[in-house]
Amino acid sequence: MKGIKFLSKTAAALAVSGALLAGCATTDNGDDGTNAGSGDEVTVDVFQFKVEFKDQFESLVEKYEEENPGVNINVKTVGGGNDYAASLKSAFSSGDEPDIFNIGGPSEIDDYRDSLADLSDTKAAEAALEGTLAGVTDGDEILGLPFNQEGYGLLYNKAIFEEAGINADEITTYEDLQSAVETLDSKKGELGIEAPFALAAKETWVLGNHLSNAFLAPEFDQSLLNAYNSDTVSFEKGDEMKRFLDLQNEYSVQPTNSLDYSQQVEELFSLGKVAMIQQGNWVYNTVYEMDPELAENNVGIIPIPVEGFEGKIPVGVPNNWMVNKNSDEDVVEASKDFLDWMYTSETGKQMVLEEFKFIPAYEGYDTSKIADPISQEIYEYASEGNTLGWVFMGTPVAWNEEVVGINMQKYISGEMTWDELEQDAINKWEESRQ
Amino acid sequence: MKNRDFTFWLFLTPVILGLSLVVVIPFIYGLFYSFTDWNGIKATTFLGFENYIKLFQDEEFRAALWFTIKFSVASVILLNILGLILALLVTRKLKSSNFLRTIFFMPNLIGGLILGFIWQFIFVSVFDDIGTALGIEALSGWLSTTNTGFWGLVILTCWQMAGYIMIIYIAYLQNIPNELIEASQIDGASSWQRFRNITFPLVAPAFTISMFLTLSTSFKIYDQNLSLTNGGPYNSTQMVAMEIVKTAFNENQMAFAQAKGVIFFLIVAVIAITQVYYNKKREVDM
Repeated sequence: MKGIKFLSKTAAALAVSGALLAGCATTDNGDDGTNAGSGDEVTVDVFQFKVEFKDQFESLVEKYEEENPGVNINVKTVGGGNDYAASLKSAFSSGDEPDIFNIGGPSEIDDYRDSLADLSDTKAAEAALEGTLAGVTDGDEILGLPFNQEGYGLLYNKAIFEEAGINADEITTYEDLQSAVETLDSKKGELGIEAPFALAAKETWVLGNHLSNAFLAPEFDQSLLNAYNSDTVSFEKGDEMKRFLDLQNEYSVQPTNSLDYSQQVEELFSLGKVAMIQQGNWVYNTVYEMDPELAENNVGIIPIPVEGFEGKIPVGVPNNWMVNKNSDEDVVEASKDFLDWMYTSETGKQMVLEEFKFIPAYEGYDTSKIADPISQEIYEYASEGNTLGWVFMGTPVAWNEEVVGINMQKYISGEMTWDELEQDAINKWEESRQ
Repeated sequence: MKNRDFTFWLFLTPVILGLSLVVVIPFIYGLFYSFTDWNGIKATTFLGFENYIKLFQDEEFRAALWFTIKFSVASVILLNILGLILALLVTRKLKSSNFLRTIFFMPNLIGGLILGFIWQFIFVSVFDDIGTALGIEALSGWLSTTNTGFWGLVILTCWQMAGYIMIIYIAYLQNIPNELIEASQIDGASSWQRFRNITFPLVAPAFTISMFLTLSTSFKIYDQNLSLTNGGPYNSTQMVAMEIVKTAFNENQMAFAQAKGVIFFLIVAVIAITQVYYNKKREVDM
């Protein structure tokens, strides 16, 4: 009897531990599939961050698989921003490396340099618009393909401007903007607005990335690579940055330090309670959900006034597709072919424009089909070359948000003077570039 | 010791295996990485205690630690007072006492992240509207200054955890022998004297438990902090857990953040061990 009892106990214990280990075992299977590459089937693992277009992207992948029966593409999507960066790191350190993945800027490229394949022989790299490859070029090699383009400026409500008798096309210099803002402020009651601006100062990216970028870009000659290679920053246009921040802050709904993105876009701008916000084309869907009429017909963009660069809009590439060099050769080829197909085939182009609603970073698109008017307008600026660079992609890691953004919040609260802000930002930059 | 034979260990295997895979081994890894320049992908140099030395000079970490301590002290005191008051309220022979217990406990069942967003709306919009309507200026601009951010967090935590602390006090309040109360009533003690001299000393053990429980919870708060203030304005309402996450994932200093994590672990461990020690001691006394 004792023997039987013992056996059943052992069996039970083994079953439980077996079940536990089985959970660990399954995660390895995907990897084996990739590396085997046996027969005609090629499996490409895509690891991407853009949750917003997951469904559309997967349907694009399906279409590709129909056209290319030998290729099997697995898409894994992990939520935006920091979660993605962390998951990508753990994927690499656990050895379960994806074949196609996303990278933002040069500092991340440094981290993954040994894994990045040269994509300069792809059709997509050839078709990429001038400047969109700047952040991913290393010598002769092109290490990534841009997702899309994005741009920002002062989004304004056309109806409110019209009612106030302001012609937005005439606003080019800071003085023009200032007088427009003063007009708006004096007619607050008639226009039914709370304030001319809503400054989302709670979001450090609004201050640290976007606001500061417009005034930092000229000193790095609009190039994020110059910013990436620079040992210091001098705030040449610091005074202009200060007065632009002051203007937005003074004429904003108060208190700005607790005003966040959703309040700014949903509550205040979409409902017509403010006339202007400093944002970009990504707000379109949110505004559309609140008020389709406003989003489709009544939002325009005014360039941020930077002396010597009037009428230019900061446009940049938020993210890139990278191919893993260490995957099997046929997997690398298949990955390149898939990216080419997505951005240069007719089906792919149509999806990119109409389903992804991207501002294309490539030539050969029927740009009249760009889905929303804000993007359309930004694309026009971009194609005419009226752009400023996105140098915040090349600044020291977290410098824009954690140093400039945070210090601007301190400045707004009166905890820090502007000179202290600049000095601290310069010191922190130099420290991290030593 | 009799039953610690082969089967004993065999049955323990799944748990030990699970625990070491997800807790012990990663912890040892983490400890090791905190002495290197690990960037999340690879570690190239062994730095010794450099990260730890840097950590004590890091102003942001010290500010976050100080803020967390202040927050913990305020919320521990308020939580216990509030929990005890609620417990006294629902242990009176009220008809609605069961209903009230459920209501008071309910906030505890809502996730901290959602609570944070709900209270953000209350502090920023509702407070402001009430303030404007009644002409009370102190109700405007909440969460835009360090002070209001601090009290916002304290209020949120108290609202969420008071029900839980209430449960602990109820358990002790109900264990107070009726004879003692009756005897004191016969002796003519007022209700304050009864509370002061009978109820309070007898629920004192509950205070120890609640204190350490609230202390270690307030130290570890992250989600409420993230959704309510996200550290703002200017990172002045940022608690330790959040500061560590930022160092690791925003600033990409994985090894440095790991060192902060180890220090944070030590602090929480000391609190937790003291709690266990005191509770054990009391159990023996009783």
